[in-house]
Amino acid sequence: MEEKVLEILEEYCEEALDYTGDNMMEEGVIDSFTVINIVSELEDAFDIEIDAKYVVAENFRNKEAVIELVARLLEE
Amino acid sequence: METMKTNFTRIVVIGYGKAAGEVLKYIHDRRADYGYELAFIEHEPHALSITGQICRERGIPFASMPDKRELADYLAEIQEKTLIVSASNNFLFPAALVEKENITIINFHNALLPDYPGRNAPSWVIYRGEERTGITWHYVTAGVDEGNIIIQKSCEIGSDTKAYELTERLMDLACEGFYECFDGVMQENVKAKPQEMQPGRRMYRSTEIPGDGFLNLAEEPEKLYRLLRSVDYGKSGIFPPLQTEVAGVRAEILRYRKIAPEKRKEEADMLHLPLADGNLLKIKYCMLEMYK
Repeated sequence: MEEKVLEILEEYCEEALDYTGDNMMEEGVIDSFTVINIVSELEDAFDIEIDAKYVVAENFRNKEAVIELVARLLEE
Repeated sequence: METMKTNFTRIVVIGYGKAAGEVLKYIHDRRADYGYELAFIEHEPHALSITGQICRERGIPFASMPDKRELADYLAEIQEKTLIVSASNNFLFPAALVEKENITIINFHNALLPDYPGRNAPSWVIYRGEERTGITWHYVTAGVDEGNIIIQKSCEIGSDTKAYELTERLMDLACEGFYECFDGVMQENVKAKPQEMQPGRRMYRSTEIPGDGFLNLAEEPEKLYRLLRSVDYGKSGIFPPLQTEVAGVRAEILRYRKIAPEKRKEEADMLHLPLADGNLLKIKYCMLEMYK
């Protein structure tokens, strides 16, 4: 799963893979439009629904947070 | 350094999203040229908005005013010669404010006015199969999207373009247009062009949804693909999910994608419709319990 998430992040925002901070959005690494693309790809890749309540900066603060989000949704 | 000549002593930016953020940064960067004061108002909070962060980082006064009356009162009390920059803003400025001598308002509209005035223009241009669209910066008058045109920029609409992708492109164009016209607006020497409006011009309202929000599977897949793309703003909730009817049962569209035929995988609650370019339109849906 992690590998696939990283693959998707790499496709839409290569910088996210090297980012080591904890707020990609505020630091301009990723913007809201990129998040839309990533969410759409994750839903398709894992056949999950990512509800709007999860599409917040907190869940896209770094690559680990995105992996954590997908893991959580896969468990539900 | 000598400041450039303007009568505006204050600029207020209202809006959300990328265009508002970039415009705000630009106006902040140009303060030394004109010597104005700057403030930002957030009328519609957005989960992924970065305008608050920009204000914090740069020390720009920030106010959140989701209440229309509070915002109208705040603006009505402005006494200085003020330029209000409305960038991705859905607050309708009251006529009394628009007519005030000391207030000039400019607005970014995400279509080539006089076409597609009102709300959600990127959706309507995709739904109607337009090949080009663009942006307009115009002076605000009492009528919605009727004021004189300051600048326009246009772009193509790709055959796979989704509403959020077009929105992003239009926001980039809005920024380009703003940078180009800013000095003219500040120096009040813009040769603004009146809109050539046809009688009966259609105004798109916030309550309207392309295709009335229903995906009629009897229609051509190309038209369905346009409808799906036209309401696709990710999870922003601008429109409710599209509905359809599968084997006589109401269903909600979850997601869609154009795929090559070799990528087809049979799954439950999934449709594959052939497109004219040889690809398939994959549509994932879920049955709505209340209709089962």
